[in-house]
Amino acid sequence: MNNITIVVAEASYLIQKGLDTILKNLGDNQVIQKMDKAEGLFESLSTLKPNILILNPDLLDANAKLINEECGKLKACKLVIISNDDEAENKYSADAFIHYNDDQNKILACLESLKDDIDKKNKNVKSDEPISAREKNILKHIALGLTNKEIADQLFISIHTVVTHRKNITQKLGIKSVSGLTVYAILNNLIAMDEVK
Amino acid sequence: MRITKDMKMASVIQMNYMLIPVIYRFGINLGFGDKTVKEICDETEIDLNFFLQLVNTYHDKDYFPKEELQSIPSKDIVAYLKMTHSSYLNEKLTEIEDLIESLQHAEAEDEKYILLIRNFYEGYKNELTEHILHEEEVVFPYVLAVEEICSTGFISDSNKKIYESFSISRYQDAHDDVEEKLMDLKTIMIKYLTPPLNTSLYHKIIQLLFMLEQDLNYHSRIEDKVLLPKMISMEKIITELI
Repeated sequence: MNNITIVVAEASYLIQKGLDTILKNLGDNQVIQKMDKAEGLFESLSTLKPNILILNPDLLDANAKLINEECGKLKACKLVIISNDDEAENKYSADAFIHYNDDQNKILACLESLKDDIDKKNKNVKSDEPISAREKNILKHIALGLTNKEIADQLFISIHTVVTHRKNITQKLGIKSVSGLTVYAILNNLIAMDEVK
Repeated sequence: MRITKDMKMASVIQMNYMLIPVIYRFGINLGFGDKTVKEICDETEIDLNFFLQLVNTYHDKDYFPKEELQSIPSKDIVAYLKMTHSSYLNEKLTEIEDLIESLQHAEAEDEKYILLIRNFYEGYKNELTEHILHEEEVVFPYVLAVEEICSTGFISDSNKKIYESFSISRYQDAHDDVEEKLMDLKTIMIKYLTPPLNTSLYHKIIQLLFMLEQDLNYHSRIEDKVLLPKMISMEKIITELI
């Protein structure tokens, strides 16, 4: 759930609200930041790292050169231009375009195809997959109360690898806290109840 | 829909039943007939403006009170937050705990798994209690001291001590951990645990956890959207003062 993060940069309250509703219909996404001014927009993108930026060029006075230049730097982020300019496609290099006159189905189709692209890229961490034998083993050590360092030492792997495994386990199971993972481990007989400290 | 002073209190509750405990914390009881929000606030001597801001912030997650709420004294906000805290500690948390306990008694076979849930819940409860105590003992006194400094323009020795011992920026990241545990508990009960024989009790516990989560979200919305911005702007004033 809420796998895709979105930043909306749009000055008009009406359009922002409209986008909100559409994105809710789309599902599986989360608007992490709404901006109605251009100040700090590109700076905040480098820390927020959204999957999608929905931008109204009017926010930057329709400065095509600036927009293309700054947005070209956003590697993993898809750019959606929202505008009532019929020439928008020719002016800006974006992954998708939404026009003020587009109907609901067209907008949804446009965003859905973007979403599919992103999902495909993320498929190495599919959340509905069961956890692997390796991950089970790591999980067992987590549940026993070992730190990342101790797990790395015992299994002869790097701390970095342990962290990656942990991230995948959390994503697959939907459980974040250590005590939650411990309960899962006991329920699935990875460890016995009396082994827990 | 925005809640206004001329709406009937009964319609407010019809619109959002999660507001029942909220108005109760203000000392308003059900059974208000056709009285409006304003009439009831007058009767119970509640600041109408404050009441409206608060229920609207609860009710609509996009409602963002701006200038008006800045005018409400922090001590009123703090007093309200303290009331919600005590309702968590004295009612909500114990209520769920009691249900989990009776679930444990009702089950002979799955007892072991219920014990897991119970221990997990205990852990959560302790963490939330600790978080609440931290707010009451550190954050709130700080808020009150900062407000006093701002309103009088004078820094007494005791207030200076409090002011220097804490900063609101440290408060901002303290919320997440506690929420995480509650979410995990729900996930485990929904996805991974074989439900016990007493399903209706089990379902009730899950529903109560959802409601607790929602109520806590509302509660932190007040802290994050009302108290926090207020503090940040007051801290600025004090830095200039010193």
